[in-house]
Order: sequence, then C-alpha cells, then structure tokens
Amino acid sequence: MKKTTLRKAEPYVWILPSIILMVGMIVVPVITVFQMSMSEISRAGVIKGYNNFDNFRAIFKSATFWHTLQNTFVWTVVVVGLSTVLGFIIAMVLNQKFHGRKFVRAIVVFPWATSLIIQATIWKYIIDSQFGSLNVILKKLGIISQNINWTPSAAAYFAWECWIGIFVTIPFVTFCVLSGLQSIDDTYYEAAEIDGAGFWKKLTRITLPLLRPSLTVSTVLNIIYVFNSFPIIWTITKGDPADKTHTLATYIYKLSFFNGKAGQAAAVSVVGFVILCICAGVYMVLSLRAEKEEDK
Amino acid sequence: MKKILAMLLVLTMILSLGAISAFAADEVTLDVIISEYGSYTREWWDGVFIPKFEEANPDIKLNLEVVSWNDLDAVVNTRISTGQQPDILNFNAFADFVADDLLMPAEEYASEELQAKFFPDFWTANTMDGTIWALPILASARGLYYNKDILEAAGVEVPTTWAEVKDACAKIKEYDPDIIPWSLDISNDEGQAAFSYYTWNNGGGFLDADGNWALNSTENVEAMTFMKELIDAGYVWPEYATATRYPQQDAFAAGSVAMIIGPNNLYDIAAGVNFGVASIPANEGKDPVNMGVCDLLVAFADEDAEEGRTEAISKFFDFFYDTDLYSEYMVYEGFLPVTSDSAALLAENAEQFKKGGPDGGEGNSEYFANFNEVLASCEFYPTYKVEWSDVMVAVTAAEQQIAEGADIQETLDAAQAEIVG
Amino acid sequence: MNNSIRKHPWRRVFLYLFVFVLCIVILYPYFVMFTTAAKDRNEMYSLDMTVLPKEWKWSNFVEIWSAAPVLRYFLNSVLVSGGATIIAILCGIPAAYALSRMKFKGKSVFLGAVIMSQMFAPVVLLVGIYRLMMKISLVNNILGLILLNAAFNQAFAIWLLRGTFLSISPDMEQAAKIDGCNTVGSLIRVLIPMAAPGIVTTLIFVFINSWNEYTMALTLISTDVFKPITVGINVFYGLNMINWQYLFATSIFATIPVIILFLCIEKHLASGLTAGGVKG
Repeated sequence: MKKTTLRKAEPYVWILPSIILMVGMIVVPVITVFQMSMSEISRAGVIKGYNNFDNFRAIFKSATFWHTLQNTFVWTVVVVGLSTVLGFIIAMVLNQKFHGRKFVRAIVVFPWATSLIIQATIWKYIIDSQFGSLNVILKKLGIISQNINWTPSAAAYFAWECWIGIFVTIPFVTFCVLSGLQSIDDTYYEAAEIDGAGFWKKLTRITLPLLRPSLTVSTVLNIIYVFNSFPIIWTITKGDPADKTHTLATYIYKLSFFNGKAGQAAAVSVVGFVILCICAGVYMVLSLRAEKEEDK
Repeated sequence: MKKILAMLLVLTMILSLGAISAFAADEVTLDVIISEYGSYTREWWDGVFIPKFEEANPDIKLNLEVVSWNDLDAVVNTRISTGQQPDILNFNAFADFVADDLLMPAEEYASEELQAKFFPDFWTANTMDGTIWALPILASARGLYYNKDILEAAGVEVPTTWAEVKDACAKIKEYDPDIIPWSLDISNDEGQAAFSYYTWNNGGGFLDADGNWALNSTENVEAMTFMKELIDAGYVWPEYATATRYPQQDAFAAGSVAMIIGPNNLYDIAAGVNFGVASIPANEGKDPVNMGVCDLLVAFADEDAEEGRTEAISKFFDFFYDTDLYSEYMVYEGFLPVTSDSAALLAENAEQFKKGGPDGGEGNSEYFANFNEVLASCEFYPTYKVEWSDVMVAVTAAEQQIAEGADIQETLDAAQAEIVG
Repeated sequence: MNNSIRKHPWRRVFLYLFVFVLCIVILYPYFVMFTTAAKDRNEMYSLDMTVLPKEWKWSNFVEIWSAAPVLRYFLNSVLVSGGATIIAILCGIPAAYALSRMKFKGKSVFLGAVIMSQMFAPVVLLVGIYRLMMKISLVNNILGLILLNAAFNQAFAIWLLRGTFLSISPDMEQAAKIDGCNTVGSLIRVLIPMAAPGIVTTLIFVFINSWNEYTMALTLISTDVFKPITVGINVFYGLNMINWQYLFATSIFATIPVIILFLCIEKHLASGLTAGGVKG
C-alpha cells in the first residue's frame, strides 16, 4: 500500500524542483502584476489599495494604448511573417550543395548569437542621418551626395525597427527549416521527378507539408518572442517620437519606469497576457483538430 | 532601518553583559543615495568624503551608494514601495515624496548656520505648503554655446533674437550643408529643457503669474511655432526626438554642430573647439532668460528611528557643505555652488582644487565667477509643484507631437487638460 | 532539387549571387562594429567621416579594460549565465525525465504550463519581478539574476531535454534496472551519457540566452560592479561622453565567445528544438 502511494508520488518528486523554480520566479510575479493592475500606486511607489479598475479605464481611454496595440500587431505579424518567408528561402538555398556552404551557414548564425542590445546599438549607429555608417558608405561610393535622413518620421523609425527584428529572427527560422529539410528523404523528390513534377509542385506537395512541424515550432516560438521583444525598440527610439513606435513591451516599461504609472503599466501587462492566452488557445484548438484529422 | 534596529539590539545585549568598551556605544548608520554626476563621482565619495566624514564622526557609519541617473528613478521607486527608503537622497524632484508624507522638513535637520549659507533663493526654492522640504545640492546654468569659427566663416554674428537665429542657421546651412546649425533635443531624456528655452524666452513658461499651470498660453504656442519652424527648415539635429543632448554635445565638441544650448560643464567637454557662450536667444522685444537647473538633497522621515538619527543627518549636511570640502566637490564635478561662502571662495581661488579624473586639471576661478553671475539671473523648473513629474512627461510628448505635425494649439490644450484635468 | 541545379548552370550563378548578397547584408553590421571599434574617438562626430578608420587604433581594444570595470562585467556575465545554466539543467533533467518516461496525472497540464510560462516574458512581468526581488532582498544581487534566468529558461530546457530523452529508446535503462540499478542510477549511468549531445546543446543554449539577457539585468542591477556585460557596456554611452569606439570594442569581446559556442551546437540546436515540439 505504502509502496504504491510512493510510486504514484514519484513523478511529482521528479518535477518538483522545476515547479518550485517556475512558481517562485514566474507565477509569483504574475500574481503581483495582477494585484498591481487593480491597485492605486503613487508615483513614489506607495501602494494605496484597490482602485476599482481605474488603471484599466485610464489605459483604455489613452490613444497611445490603442496605437501601441496596433503597432504590436503589425510588429508581430510583419517580423514573424517576413522572417519566416526569408528564413525559409535562405534555408532552401543553404540546403543546396555549393562551395563554401559551411562558411555561409556559420555566418547565418551570427545575428542569432549576438545579443539584441548590441545589434540594436549597431543599427542605431548605422542609420544615424549625420554620422551613420550607411550614409558615409553611400557617399563614398558616390551613390548619394547629400546625407539622407533615414528616419524622417515615426513610421520610418518603426520600419527600421521591423527590419532589425527581421534581421535577428531569420537565423532561427533558417535553422529550424534546415533541420526539417535534412530529415526529408531524397527518394520523395526522385519519385516526384519521375512523375514529371516541377519546382512548385515539389515545393507545395512535398517540402511544405513535410516541413510543417518545423515551421510550426519556429512560428509559435517566434510569435511569443517577437511579441514580447524589448531591446530593439527601446534602444532605437524608446517608443518615441510622440509614443508612436511603442509595442506593449516598451510601453509597459515606459509607463512604469519613466512616467511613474506602475498601476497602469501592470494593467497593460495584464492585457498582454490576455492576448497571448487567446493566441495560445487558438493554437491549442487548431493543433488538437489537426491531430484528430491525422488520427483518422 | 531594520538592520540598525537589529544591530542596536545586539549592541544593547552585549552592553548589558558589560563586555564592551565605551566608544562603540551609540553608532548610527545612515543610508545615503547619491546620483552620479560624472565618471568620477563614485571616486570622490568613496575616496574623499566617506573617509573624512567617518574620521570626524566615529559614531556615524555611512552606507553610501552612488547610482546613475538612468537607474535612479527605478531604484528610488522600489525602495519606497517596499518601505526601504534611504535616510538621505540626492535627486531632482521632491514634490511626489511630500505628497506621500515621506519627507522630513528641512528646518528639522538643517542647522541655522547652514541655512544662512545658502543663497536665499535656493534655500526657499523647495517650498511646498509653506514648508521647506529639500536642500539644494548643486546647480548648473544653461547658455548658448556657439562655434566661433563656423559663425565667422558663415559670416554671421552671435544671434540674440529668434529672427537672428533663423538667419544665422540659414547662412550656416548655405556655408556647409553638413554642419548642423542648431541643436535641438526633445527626447524623453530632457524634453522639458527645450520647452523652457523657447517658452521662457517668449515670456511664457510652465506657470502663469499666479503660479497656476499654463502650458497652453499664447506665448507658449508662439514658442512652439518657432521650434517647429526650425525643424521644418532643416536647421536642427535630425534625430531630435530620439537622440539625447549628449551625442549633440559631442558633435558640438567635434565641430559638427554650430550652436547648442548646454550646461556649464560643456565648457570642459568642448575644449577642442573655438567656442563662445552667450545668453539663450529670445523673441523680439522679450527679455532673454537663462535656464538654471538645481538638484536636491532630501531626508526621509522615519518614525521608528533611533534617537541620534536626525542629529546624524544634521552632521552629515554640516560636513558636506563645509566651505572647503563643498568647494572641492564643485570643482571636481564642474558644477556651480549654491552656498554663498563657497561661491565666493571659488570665484576667488578655484585653482587650489582639482577636477575629477586621472588627468583632471585645476579649477578655474574665472569660470566660477562668470557662471555664478549667470546663475543669479536664471529661472528654474517649478519642481515644488506636485504635478511637475507629470508636466515633464506631458510637455515632452507635446513637443514630439508638434514636431510630427500635430496642431500646436490643440496639442498644448490637451497637455494642459491632462495636468489640470 | 539538387538535380535541377546541376541541369541549369545559370541557376548556379544566381545561387552564388544570392549567397554573396546574403553574406554582405549579414556581415555589414559586424563590419561597422569592427571598424568603429578601431577608430579614434575624435573621428566619431567629425564632418569628414570615413568608412575605415583614418588610423587603426588597436589600443582601443586594450584601453577598454581599464576605462571601465569591463573584466568585472564579464565575470558577472559568466557567473549569471553559468549559475542559471546549472540550476536550469539540475531542475530540468528530472522534469524532462518524468515527462518522457513516466505516466502521471496532470502530465499534460504540466507540459502545457511549461509552454505557457514561455509567454510570460520578463519585460511584461518586470514590475512584479522587481517587487518580488525586493521582498526577498535579491535586488541588485547576482543570485537574483541567476534564479530568474534559470526560471525563464526552464521551459526551453525541459522542451529540449524531453525531445532528446524521447529520441532515446528506454530499453537500455530497463536493462540497467534489471541489473539492479534504481531509477536514479539508470538515469545517471545510462540515459544521461546517451543523451549527452542533447544535454550539451541545452546547456549552451541556456547559457547563451542568459548571457544575452538585458531587460531584467537593466532593471534589477544598479550597482556598477554587479552589472553583466550587456548592461555594463552602457557605461560607454555615458553622460557628457559617448565612447562609441569602446562600446563596440567591448561588444566584440562580448559577442565572439557566444558565436563560437553557437557554432559548436549549430548542428544539434534546431533538430533538438523541433524534436521536442513534434513528439509528444
């Protein structure tokens, strides 16, 4: 009797350290954030108690919040979408046999291995209109004669930020796809070629379906990472000009540590959770349905 | 404070056992947070101040931390929210603390002798509801720095009015399109400074004559219109919304920027170029107003503090504002003194003190004499208003919106409404 | 598809052109980082900027070590990343083992929770994290950063390790058990050696993630000597003095070890990730 309880309890003992770590460091802050989102917090940091969703009302009334939400959506879709397409193309190319392939693969790792803050700082330096490397090079090459202001508007800043986001996300997609490509048996293609299938047919009938698991993993993880990404935008613009380049992550930071509105920052965090949870829910439903279809 | 209590508890226990020599009896520890004014701030406090202070006051221990301005807000905020506020804090605002009943009135710890040392305007500047809540620690004065060589080559005089500024910018741009004629920083690092430079020099500003918020006054709208014209004409630093004052200062020091409004320590930074300093230009028919910035020292209240705490805080301040030591610190950091005795000493003989850093030269009396005078005519931020922190954010956002093309009157009206409600 | 390339030589030309452009684009920021790191400070904001340094100032790479406590920043980064990696692995291996070898109630709930925990990025939780750390007196403390990095990498570690364990047949462990080994013994003597490549991949991945972490370190550490390198390099973007050349020189030192580590695991990394996600 005792032995069976012990045996039943055993798996939980195995996962216990992991649970303690995650509950202690992640769940507790999550709870705190929920509490703070419903509390009045003075600028100096004193918690003054429950304030009946005032924080939520304040952020829903703020135009910046809605603009930020829109930005977050654009940012996530554009960065994940384009880096997936580009990363996929690069992986297809790197899967070919050519001289220097090893070298190129090593280079593609670079942006993944460099910390975001360092990359963002370099790009900030590159696109500086007056002293940036891009204008200097173009001038020396004789392509332009006058400095170009690469960031004349908030939209231009945001576009650059998206580009940097894409730049640093591509390697992850590329390597996920590469690992998938390597596991595809050549005989599929040989058989298809005998049937006279062209490039597109092979791509859509063989490559893409077989890559689906790899692409799913890279896309899901990228959505989470890109949605929550902070250093790129913070380094380049801090959400400015006029708070027009924020995503939720930078907006939370600015509200909390610049504007002294910790309660509202917590409320925005809660909105962020809800959005991600909805996405997770959709994903679960879709993947469950896909699994069922496969079972049939 | 808990630590101190625990320590005292232990001490009393040991004392009751009769196993301790008398001198360690009433030790008090002060938690002090100092903000980082330069690359060598920490070295002065750790290497000069603390040893001297603890030698002179063996019964007081300093737990002093130098924190960079980047981290200061977050550090202070979380310390307070968890009830671990320091005893003494070096900061740039105090009204929020007063609103939360966190501070001790300055008259409780500033000795009469010390109170008399401060320039009267600085001493009373930090008044809220008739009580003085903070001591001034140091000041800086902003002025227009101009590159003499560039102005001469472009054939322009130092501008004193807004019209002359535009004219000078146009000519500099014509002379060399790679030179940035005018430096503008409306990033969230210090957007309120730009707002002051233009509105004050058009007779406007943050407050009206009665001391009420007046962000959307006609004068302010005119001032912002002028700023927008400079932007539209392409006279300013193109990344005005994201680049802070600091790269622009570096560019001025490299001779790539013709004119910049900056603090007095730009004097040292720009040593490589041939520059002059003038008053910040004003609109036609308005009096030029220079801007001063004055940082503070506050002492937090602590109801369960032990007996000697207030006394120890007093001793700390008396020691810090000592004529020689305080003068030394001012030269070391390149800031301006707020006490009359040190101001007099530095205007007379600043050469006896060294600037910070391994190759810091000696102080310059002329520098202090000139800037002490400028400082006397400066206007300061209304830090004594409880809404000030929100106002800084609001005017910076307004400036950026205006730069992006928003309607000026509407934007300032919205900023005003946000503050006044 | 290899065949089609062989059949059309112009496709080869296109391929090489594509690869060439790709390399240029990827290497460009590193080229900028390197050339700027070797410039003299006076060149940074001058009117006649050049692409290459007017004079290669290699001494920058030496000066950084004395201009700021850079060595200390590196040590802190090693401590934080090393500590976080060890804790993440020590907690992750048993959890991944249970998830791949045992049946128990709530297994799928736990697996779901692990994936969910990935969604709570540190930046969204910063306000909460700060308060928690304050309560347990771990603000401005390297141990705090270690625990946080371990926790936020836990999901990845479990994911990768579980994938590795699942790809190894349990037969060997059963054989060991028949020979008298208990569960712990079979895990340590049989499974871990067999899963070594996957474990090393996980180790390095967690290490790199912690090494590159910025947001939590930025908010939690205010004392200079406790800063890891990602935050520490900000010292060169100081008030009154921006030293781009030092900033980039230090960045190079901070990047090279990570790139080397990455190249070591390049082959396994993506396959490990996808394996963990697919099987289950």
